[in-house]
Amino acid sequence: MKSINLDIRPGETLGIIGSNGSGKSTLLKVLARIYQPDEGKIVYNANKISLLSLALGFDARLSGFDNAVLSSMLLGATLREAKQKVESIIDFSELGEFASHPVRTYSSGMRARLGFSVALNMKTDVLLIDEALAVGDAKFRAKSEKAIVERVTSSQTVILVSHSGPQINRLCDRAVWIEKGEIVLEGDTDFVTGQYAKA
Amino acid sequence: MSELTKNSDTQALQEVFRFWQLVIIKVRFNLRSEATQSYLSYAWWLLEPLMQMGVYYIVFDIFLHRGGEDFVPFLLCGIVPWLWFSRSVNNSSRSIVQGQGLISQTYLPKPFFPLVVIGQDLVKQQVVFLLLFGFLLYFGYMPSVEWLWLIPIVITQLMLIIAVAFLVSFIVPFARDIQYLINAGLMMMMFGSGIFYSYESVLLPEHREIFLMNPMANLIVSYRMVLMDGTAPMTDSLIVIASVSLVFIFLMSRAMKRHNNTLTRLALE
Repeated sequence: MKSINLDIRPGETLGIIGSNGSGKSTLLKVLARIYQPDEGKIVYNANKISLLSLALGFDARLSGFDNAVLSSMLLGATLREAKQKVESIIDFSELGEFASHPVRTYSSGMRARLGFSVALNMKTDVLLIDEALAVGDAKFRAKSEKAIVERVTSSQTVILVSHSGPQINRLCDRAVWIEKGEIVLEGDTDFVTGQYAKA
Repeated sequence: MSELTKNSDTQALQEVFRFWQLVIIKVRFNLRSEATQSYLSYAWWLLEPLMQMGVYYIVFDIFLHRGGEDFVPFLLCGIVPWLWFSRSVNNSSRSIVQGQGLISQTYLPKPFFPLVVIGQDLVKQQVVFLLLFGFLLYFGYMPSVEWLWLIPIVITQLMLIIAVAFLVSFIVPFARDIQYLINAGLMMMMFGSGIFYSYESVLLPEHREIFLMNPMANLIVSYRMVLMDGTAPMTDSLIVIASVSLVFIFLMSRAMKRHNNTLTRLALE
């Protein structure tokens, strides 16, 4: 990461595009406060910033319920908020009676669905998403993309990292192209993804 | 430098509240998770120390029959606090390194990791203390009002554990080999803590003060004064140990905050 100078406006959906190793995931982690910049600074005007991590802090020996509570709290919820949300999380994940079974008995698809449901049910000011859209089977994938679109069209600020131009095009208002830790191009989604596709 | 411009005092307080809530929940879930691993689950909290204490009883009281009537209670009053200390320190030394899964995905202040380990051990230790009381009753030591002194002693020991655990969990990510030195250090400290001997009958008078500078040796003397002699502990020492520990906890938390980035990078290596 070298010189990144970026304004993120409230309510927008910003797409970050770039090839593997371009530094786009690192940028998300800096925004999520996992890494702090060596130089320069980030001014936050929002309180809750969450990186949508699937299966964050999951313990395979615990039930789906317990993991939903724990994961929600790790994403920024208080215990009360987590307990209030757990029903709707389990509902969305379509786990049914499996919610009380240990997560180690789940298929990878079920696990991903639970992880996605937790992350999507979090109320945050800024949601950071790292190419995590494609989880579960086709039906759940459609449902999860719809949920993301809902987030995107609401007043939620979303930053989405992807190396897929079409996905950014479909979901974002504005795009930034990053290569080798520097901004190559910034602006209108069609224009940026178009240039990226040519490169 | 990053800064939270809207971070008022109430929000800072909320963060602190959320942090401790998360520590407690994580402790609870970790204990639950651990219990699912065995058939007898939570019963092991009682069975494991019971078997350990039983072994000491069988070996020293029945087979060797040495050290006098009081030897087994004397030994237990030393070994129980010691094992709590050494287990917590040992378990937390790798806590930041082992937290890499969470560290790579979310922001958590680094003291979270040793605190969760200490919390787990603290919960289990309550059962061990109850068992110790049971053994003492069996050996004819009746509880007295003086036993209330245990509360400040246990709190002081907890402070000491947190201080040492913060120190080792901070250092280990920088050089993981230090793990082995910690084991050796704990072993050395164990022999210097007067678990198997009474410092008053073994050590030369001029060495006793040095012996008591070892905080665990000092605390164990206090445990025995309260539990076996029914007297007040060495309160001056308790105050010194607790205060020095608190200063250490404060300094180590600051160090973990200042070197948060470095610790994150080292943990993910």
